[in-house]
This record gives sequence, structure tokens and C-alpha cells, in this order.
Amino acid sequence: MANSLYSIVATFESPDTIIKAAKAVRDAGYKKFDVHTPFPVHGMDKAMSLPETKLGFVTLAAAILGAVGMISFASWVAAVDYPLVIGGKPYWSWPAFVPVTYEIAVLASVVLTVVIMIVFFFKFPNISHPLHDTPYMKKVSSDKFGVSIQAQDELFNEKKVRELLQSLGGNVDAVYYSDEFINFKPQLFEPKFLLLLAGIAMASSAGGYLLWNKILFLPPYDWMMEQQKVKPQMVSNFYSDKFAMRQPVEGTVARGYIPYPYKDKPDDAGKYLVNPLLPTKQVLELGKKKFLTFCSPCHGNFGQGDSRLRGQFPNPPSLHSDKVRGWPDGNIYHVITNGQNVMPSYQYQVSREERWAIILYIRTLQRALNAKESDLQ
Amino acid sequence: MNEHLNNIIVAKKELPSSLVKLGWVLTMLGLVLVGISYITDAQRAVQNNLIGFTFLASVSVGAVFFIALEYIAGAVWSTPFRRVTEFLAATLPLLIILAIPLFMNMHNLFEWTHTDVVTSDKVLHGKASYLNVNSFTIRFAVMMAIWMLFYLVFRKHSFVQDLNHDQKHTSINIKFAAVFIPVYAISISLFAFDWLMSLTPHWFSTIFGVYYFIGSIVCTLSVITYLVVSLAEKGYFFKGITEDHYYSFGALLFALLSFWAYIAFSQFMLIWYANLPEENFWFIARWKNGWEYISSALALFHFWIPYFMLVSRPSKMNKGNLKRTALLLIAAHFLDLYWMVMPTFHASPVFSFHELAFPMLTLGLIIVVFAIQSKKYNMVPIGDPKLERGIDFRL
Amino acid sequence: MSATLMDYTKEVPVVEGTPTAASLDEAISKPLYTFPKRNWFIGLAISGSMLLFGIITVTWLLWKGVGIWGINQPVEWGFDVVNFVFWVGIGHAGTLISAILFLLRQKWRTGIARFAEAMTLFAVLCAVQFVLFHTGRPWLAIVYLFPYVTQHGVWVNFISPLEWDVFAVNTYFTVSAVFWYVGLIPDLATLRDRATTKMRKTVFTILSLGWRFSNRHWQHYERAYLIMAGFATPLVLSVHTIVSFDFAVSVIPGWHSTIFPPYFVAGAIFSGFAMVQNVLIVTRKAFNFEYLITMDTIEKMNKIMLLTGSMVGFAYLTESFIAWYSGNPFEQFTFLNYALGPYGWSAAVLISCNVLLPQLFWFKKVRTSLLASFILAIFVNVGMWFERFIIIVVSLHRDYLPSSWRMFIPTVWDFGMLIGSFGLFFTLVLLFVKFLPSISMSEIKSVIPGAQPSHHGNGAHHG
Repeated sequence: MANSLYSIVATFESPDTIIKAAKAVRDAGYKKFDVHTPFPVHGMDKAMSLPETKLGFVTLAAAILGAVGMISFASWVAAVDYPLVIGGKPYWSWPAFVPVTYEIAVLASVVLTVVIMIVFFFKFPNISHPLHDTPYMKKVSSDKFGVSIQAQDELFNEKKVRELLQSLGGNVDAVYYSDEFINFKPQLFEPKFLLLLAGIAMASSAGGYLLWNKILFLPPYDWMMEQQKVKPQMVSNFYSDKFAMRQPVEGTVARGYIPYPYKDKPDDAGKYLVNPLLPTKQVLELGKKKFLTFCSPCHGNFGQGDSRLRGQFPNPPSLHSDKVRGWPDGNIYHVITNGQNVMPSYQYQVSREERWAIILYIRTLQRALNAKESDLQ
Repeated sequence: MNEHLNNIIVAKKELPSSLVKLGWVLTMLGLVLVGISYITDAQRAVQNNLIGFTFLASVSVGAVFFIALEYIAGAVWSTPFRRVTEFLAATLPLLIILAIPLFMNMHNLFEWTHTDVVTSDKVLHGKASYLNVNSFTIRFAVMMAIWMLFYLVFRKHSFVQDLNHDQKHTSINIKFAAVFIPVYAISISLFAFDWLMSLTPHWFSTIFGVYYFIGSIVCTLSVITYLVVSLAEKGYFFKGITEDHYYSFGALLFALLSFWAYIAFSQFMLIWYANLPEENFWFIARWKNGWEYISSALALFHFWIPYFMLVSRPSKMNKGNLKRTALLLIAAHFLDLYWMVMPTFHASPVFSFHELAFPMLTLGLIIVVFAIQSKKYNMVPIGDPKLERGIDFRL
Repeated sequence: MSATLMDYTKEVPVVEGTPTAASLDEAISKPLYTFPKRNWFIGLAISGSMLLFGIITVTWLLWKGVGIWGINQPVEWGFDVVNFVFWVGIGHAGTLISAILFLLRQKWRTGIARFAEAMTLFAVLCAVQFVLFHTGRPWLAIVYLFPYVTQHGVWVNFISPLEWDVFAVNTYFTVSAVFWYVGLIPDLATLRDRATTKMRKTVFTILSLGWRFSNRHWQHYERAYLIMAGFATPLVLSVHTIVSFDFAVSVIPGWHSTIFPPYFVAGAIFSGFAMVQNVLIVTRKAFNFEYLITMDTIEKMNKIMLLTGSMVGFAYLTESFIAWYSGNPFEQFTFLNYALGPYGWSAAVLISCNVLLPQLFWFKKVRTSLLASFILAIFVNVGMWFERFIIIVVSLHRDYLPSSWRMFIPTVWDFGMLIGSFGLFFTLVLLFVKFLPSISMSEIKSVIPGAQPSHHGNGAHHG
């Protein structure tokens, strides 16, 4: 190996001697030296006068980054971008975000600590260090304790160093390196390499997008969408009538659709039906809305029968007649539900509650035109 | 026996007189305030009495637990300081004295002692076979007897060992410690159910025993840490107490208070999430009319602040920091008990001299008992076979 | 009870005898260089066939759907979730041994930490497959398990405990893998320098990243190890806590119990230690590691199993007591149904395997008997499997309405998945002990007598 000297190395047999050697090398004023041990030897950091590691700050920063990032993201998703009521809880339910925030904080701090340690503190991966593959390295990777003083050190003098190490009782050797070996620079930030990385990133994102948004929903990946079950309007061989849809049992009442018992009996309706609603502001507003939608095209905005349809049909009656004013609520309800003369039934357009709200609104209109003395005071 | 024993300053050494004085002053002042409190507002006094009683139970029973823990875990770093724990456990008999006014005023504390309420309430009626005065008293007596028994056994073998240096005492104590741990787990759970959970007899939470246990352990360790650090600063125990010893206290305290937060959050989270009316009212009562500030303060002072006070490695070895954190956590345990007891009786937080009387009395009693014990017995278990390893302890 | 009195003035040595560092390297790396024994191939054949059964099951499952399992209404969660919780639980021992015992400075962990960590990874892999396959169409899982931006504009639900689970298990797997790999780096470098073939040398050179045992590196490395242990410790608690949240945040009687988080964690450690114990006893014997994994280690493992087993028993007691104390008739019924219902036999298995049998560990004779430890560890895992079965299946099969009550009968495919997961686990374990050092060489070298400077006593701790 016609090469330049990298360092003078010496191996020692016991932890006590290596500690002593490290102290001696440090006291001799060398800066570019290192100790190589098969496992961490206690007290070595002090013997080498190494400053305290700053790794803890990396971890702290990563933990804060992870925690703040995750809780912000979860809050934005659950409360802003995609708000859903889950279990009757507020959108921003902070206790529910604690677990994920915690997990991401741990993930970020551990992964970032290790990656930063390996890449920035150790400058790894680096498999071309001069010490690699030397007899010295083979010894310290097993059971010897070694110290290495680099030729680049300001105080370096091969003879002196050899003497020092020998006087400490070490087994002295020298490590050489070839120039091309040490001048080799990793080409991590070459534009071509960066371009390659960007290309891979774009291709994989696009591929992922296509895969999870398009391809997996197309045949043949959709086979589970075909399930063995009958759907409405399908033929079923199970039943003798071949209908997949079954008729409900006689007398079945659908939810929210209570049958109207006073068909063709307006007087009974007037007698037995009672308006369940109170004329609150909310109810009247509902009544007004529905009245203007369904009733006003014929009866006019104020119930006077003066709509724009006047003259094209038999004139719709005014709701302010004595007859209508004298009707109990039930009669009006009956007319809305069943229809009367030309007026059709509105029971499918207007729900029961809405009908009662309309009636209260009509009563308000009537009262407005024929106010009592007491109303004017 | 060996050269290490020369490092032990003085086996028997009186406490600094300022501390002893403080103890007596606190006790006396506390007694006077307790008297005034009972005369002016017996209702409120008994509630505070319960807080003081459970606090003392936390420290004294917790100390017995720590003695057992050291034996069973084979820990060596704490051996030179074990006497501190043993002296603290000597407050155990005082529990009976603090319990007497509680038993006399049970009617004011526990709804389930009112037979008319119980007969008309289906749920309470169902648990009457557990929650009644007789079985309650018997349970307390049995628990006290068990705790006292184990305390006396540990103490006897530990003190005798000072004289004869016989390792068999350690062996015996390890065996008793192994038996004590399961007994302790059951008894401390029942203690928490009886004295704290049954204040709201309709409420239940399976983790409640664990919650009280971990709070009490954090408090006990804080008391131990405070006493060890401040006495070590004054030259007690032995020469050459290293940062590694302090670090062990700091790290254990850090771990336990994190565990407290874990248990507290788990209990809250599960009840908050399921939102069942038979459970959630307990937390709702603690989140309205000003109690929300107490609840937030509890999270802050029992977890967040001490957590960040101890999070870095140097801070776990810093003596001043350890003492401050320990004091904060002792106060936080009072707050924790206050938070468990008081919302049952008061719609919004209350604070006056009533709330100060019992903390003063209990802290004073602990110091006084400690002072008396340390005057009589060795400060360091000089006969313990693990002592040398404990003194030599390095991380 | 012990015949020979212990000497408390001395530390129990981590390794027996006085092996030299070089001989340890030799012994630990030996399986990597020697052709495996016949027993290893027999083991691989058995676990491989079990794995094959699992692969067949999964293939059929992917084709046909989860309907091939025995799940029904109201037992919507069957073997899938039982096995998931079971395997995740087993995965807890590794991190516990490598992180918590590390922080507690328990040196005896040195001999077992490496393969306990490896078992963690394998167990979590086994666990993940169950949740993945129980989603029905796992190829779409990334869309609804991870917050992945899709054209549907739908986000995952961060208020759901199942979503927390996704985060917890993934974090746990990643962190365990990083922990394991960081621990492996120095050993990989040692293997690199011992390598005799070019192939091995290349592989280990790349894997060891260029580690050169520099103390300037060890300094950061040790701190990183400490930090990771500090994070992994609460992480290991949080993972099974979040698994317990899957159940405990609901309003199902028998699931909604506030003690679930610590109780699940204790159970996880319990079953994990049992599994480590089983593998440990076999490995120790097969590779003649008796002097590295000492009887003292096995005894301590048994003591921890006794402790955690009693904690689990204590949780059963508390739960049953509070079920009665709560006055809630549904809770009371559920607990009576555990014991006296149609699945009452499983409760009997549970109590005897998890609570009663481990009490034998009170006797030193049992603790120090390899055969007894091995058998009891198997019983513990049977019991812990049944614990999850009871929590999941037995709680669900009696719904609030008696009209929806239904029994759960597992099909052959349910067992196929279970057997397959054991096959996967043991195949990975067998490959691991053959191709990687199953004991950390650098760690064990640091605790043998004379490994540390003399003023630190014999063998201070790595870390």
C-alpha cells in the first residue's frame, strides 16, 4: 500500500488501560484522536473530555413538531374540513385527539432522533473510512480496546506518538489509506440524483393516486361488489310469486305516516282534531314559509283569494270569510289533507306538523284583518 | 465490618432543630385551627378531616409499600435511605386518631349511612350489604391491622439487623414483602372505594383504587425525596452521595407522576367518551361552577409542571429542583384529595382557614414523628447487606 | 423456602463463569456460520406447514370475503380481533424487556433483550394481518385507515378508537423496528469483521452502515438508546391502552370498564413474557446458551409472570366487584354470564390458566424448573387467549335484547388464520436465530466480569 498515513493506532487489553491511555493522549494535547471499544466503556467520555451530547435537543424539537403537527391536523380534519358528529360529541373533541397526538409525537421523536444521529452525528452511511477492514478494526470489533491518533492532528509526530502509545503499554500499528479512497465524496446532492429522487416521488404519488382512486374500483378488483343478495325489482326464485320485494303485512304502518281517520268526515275532523302546536315565533315562521310555498299561489299571499291565478280557474275563496273564520282548526286541517272542490289533497307535500303550522299562520292573517279591540290597545 | 461504614457520618443524628421546630409549630397551630374549625363549622371540618386522614394514609401506607418494594425488587440505590421510609411509616398508628372524628361524624360524610335514603333508593339498597357502618368499620380495622402487622415485621427485622448484621433478616423481609404486595393491592383499593368513592355512593369506577394508589405513591415518594435531599445536603447519611443517587429519585418520581397522568387520563377519557349518565355526573360536577379551574389546576400541578421540571437529565439530579418538585407534588396531592372530596359537598370551590388546618396538622405530625424516630434509631441501616452496594451505586 | 441463603452483598452475575469477549463472539455468531441441526429443519417444516395453511386461508378469505368466518350478528368481532389483541399483547414483552428493564437497570435483560425485541416485531406483524384482513377489502385499507388524500374528499375519523389503534400499532411497529435495528448495528459491524465469505461481508457491511466502534459515536449512541428507551416505555403502555380503548369507550356491558387500560397492559406483559419464556428455554438449550441466559434470568421472568398474572387476577376481582357494586343489571348479568353462561367453560379455563396455575411460581422449585416454567408459560398463553375470547365473544353474544342472542361457532377458516399466525411467528423466529445474532454481543460483552473499569465495580451497565 503505497499510501499516506491516516493514523497511528494502538490496542490495549483491558478497560482500565484504555481509560488511562485515553487520558494520557488527551493530556498530551492531541485533538484528532479517537477511542474504539467493542462496547461503551464507562467513564470514557470524561477521559476523552467529550462535550455532553446535544441529541436530547433534537428529540425535544422532534417531539414538539410531531405533537403540534398532529393535533393541528386532527383538529383541522375533524372540526374544519370534514366535520361529522361522532357519538354526539362536539367536532373539536380534544380528549379524542390525545392518543393520536401522543403516538405521532413518539414516532417523530424516535425516528428523527435516530435518523439525525446516523446521518448528521455519525455521517453514516460511510463504508469507506480508512479504518475499515484494517486488522485494527477487526481487533476492536471483538475484544480489544484501541486508540487512534490521526496524522492530521496539529501536534502529530509519528515518532512521538509511537513512543507515547508504546509507553502506555499498547500494541502499536499504523493505518494507511489510498488517496482516491479518502477523496471519494458521496454524490448525494448531485442534480442528477436529486432529479431521480423527484422523479421517483412523482411517479409513486401518481401511481398511488391512480391505484387507490381508480384502478381498485374497476374490474377485476370490484368482484366483492357483486354479492349474493336480492335487490329491489329483482326476480327471486325463492318465493312462488317471483317477487324479490315483499308486501308488508296487512295493517303495517310506516314510520311517521299515521293514517288519516276522518276521510270524508269534515265535521268529525273539526270536532276531534286539536292543534298540537303553540303559536310561537318559530312555528309561525314555518307556517309562513309553507303557506307561501303551497297555499299562496291560489289563495294569495295574505289569504284573500287574490292570487295571480284569479280568473283562470274558478276563483279560489278568501280565507277571511266568516265561514273559514268560524271553522275549528280541524276543519282547515281536513281541507288541506283531503282537498275540497277543485283544491287537491296536500297530504304528500305538507307534513302533519307543517299543516298545523300553516293553520296557525292563517289564524294570524285572519286576526290581522279583523283585529279585536284588545289587539289595538 | 468494612471501610464503607466509616463513610457513614453518624448513624444516629438528631434532625436540624429548625425542622423539628417547624414540625411542632405546624402541629400546634394545626391543632388549634382544627379545634376552631370543628367549633365553627363541624360539617366542613369533617370534610377536611377526611382529606387530612387520606393524606396521612397516602404517606404512611405508601411508605410501607416502598419498604416492601425495595425488598422485593432487590433495589440497592435506596438502601442507604430506607430509614427515611421506615420512619415515615411510623405515622401509621396516627391514622386511628384522625379516623375517630370521622367515625363520629359519618352521617355528615356518607350518604349511605342514612337508612331512610338507602331504603328508598334502589341502587343504594342493592349495595347496602357492602356499604353499611358495621362492615365499613370492620374493613377499616382489618386493613389497619394488616398494615400495622407488616410494618412491624419489616421494622423489627430491619432494626435488629443493625445489631447483628445477619442476612437472614433480609431474606425474611423479602418473603413478607412478597406477601404484602397483593395484600396491599386489595386493601388500598378497598380503602379508596370506602373512604373516597363511596362519598358519591351512586358513582363507580373500576380504576378508582389504582388512581388513589398511584396518587398516594407519588406523594409518598415526594416526601421521601424531599427529606432525603434536604437531609443529605446537611450532611446526613453518608459521605459521597453521588448524582446517580439523586438521579434515581428524580427518575422514579418522573416515571410515577407520568403514570399518575396516564391513570387519571384513562379514567377521564373512558367516562367522557362513553358519556353514560350513571358515571359522567361525577366529572360534570367537577367541570362547572368554578370546579373546572380546580380540575385544570390539578392537571397542571400534578402533571404538566412537575413533568417539565423533571424531563431533562440534569434536572433529575439537581438537588434544588428535586426539592421544589417534591414540595409541589405534595401540595398537588392535597389538591387531588380536595378535588375528590369537596365537589360532593360544595357546588363551587371553597377555601378558607378550614382547608389549611388539616394540611398543617398532618404535615406537622409527619415531621414530629420523623424527628422522634430519627432521634431514637439509626439514620442508616448499618446492618443491611445491600448497604455497601447502595453506597457504591453508579448508574 | 430456599435451601441456600442468598448473599445480598454481591450482585448476581449476569453471565455464569468468566467467558472472554472473544469466546462470546464466537459462541453467539456460531449459528450463523454452521449448518443448522436437524431439529431446526424439523421445526421449520412444522411452522412452514402451519404458515402454508394460513396462506391458503388468507387466499380463500380474499377471494370470498369475511363471511367464511364464524362471525355473525351480534358477534361481529370473532377470532380476528381475539387474535389481534392476543398477538399485540405478546408483542409487548420485547419492548418491555428492552426499554423498561433497561431504564430500571436490570442487567439480566442483556441475554434476552435481542430476541425478545425480534419477537415483538414478529408478533406485531402477526397481529397486523388480522386487523388488515378483517377490514374485508384490505387493498383499500390505505384509503380508510390512513389519512390519505383521495378524490372522495373523505378523511379518517380521529374520534374513533379504531383509528387510534391504526396509529398506535404502526408507531409501535416502527419504533420497535428502529430500536431493534439500532441495537443490532454494533453486532452487524462485528459480524462484518468476522465474515469469511464475500457475500456475508457485503451484506453486513451495508447493514452496519460503516459502524467503527468509535467512542465519539458510542457517546451519542448510548444517549439515543436511553432516549429511545424513555420513549418506548410509555409507548408500550399506550399501545395496549389504546387497544383497550377499542372496547372500553363503548357502552357494551363487560367492555366499558375504567380499569381496562392498566389491566390490558398487565395482561399483555403477562402473555408476552410467557411467549418469550417458551422461546427462550428452547433457544437456550439448542445453542448451549445456558451460561448467558442463566437460571436466574428464567426465575426472574417467572417472578414477573407471577406479578403480572396476579395483577390480571386483581383486575378480574375489581371488575366483578364493581359490576355488582354498580347496581347496573346489564353489567351484573354480563359477569354472571361469563361464569355461568353457555361459554362458562372458557371462564374456568381462564381463571385456572391465568390466575391459579401461575400461583405455583410462589415456589422456588417451580420457578427454577425448566420443564415447569415451559409448561406453565404455555398455559399462561392459552389462558390469555381465552381472556380475549371472553372479553370479545362472550360479551357480544348476549346482546341487550334477548331476541338477538346468538352463539359464536368458529369455522375451520377461523382456526386456519390462528394456526397460520403461529406458523408465521415461529417461521420468522427460526429464521432469525439462524441468520442474526440472537444475543446482543456488544451488550453482553459489556457486562461480563472485568468488562468495565475497576472503579465501577464489576460490570456497570450498558447505557
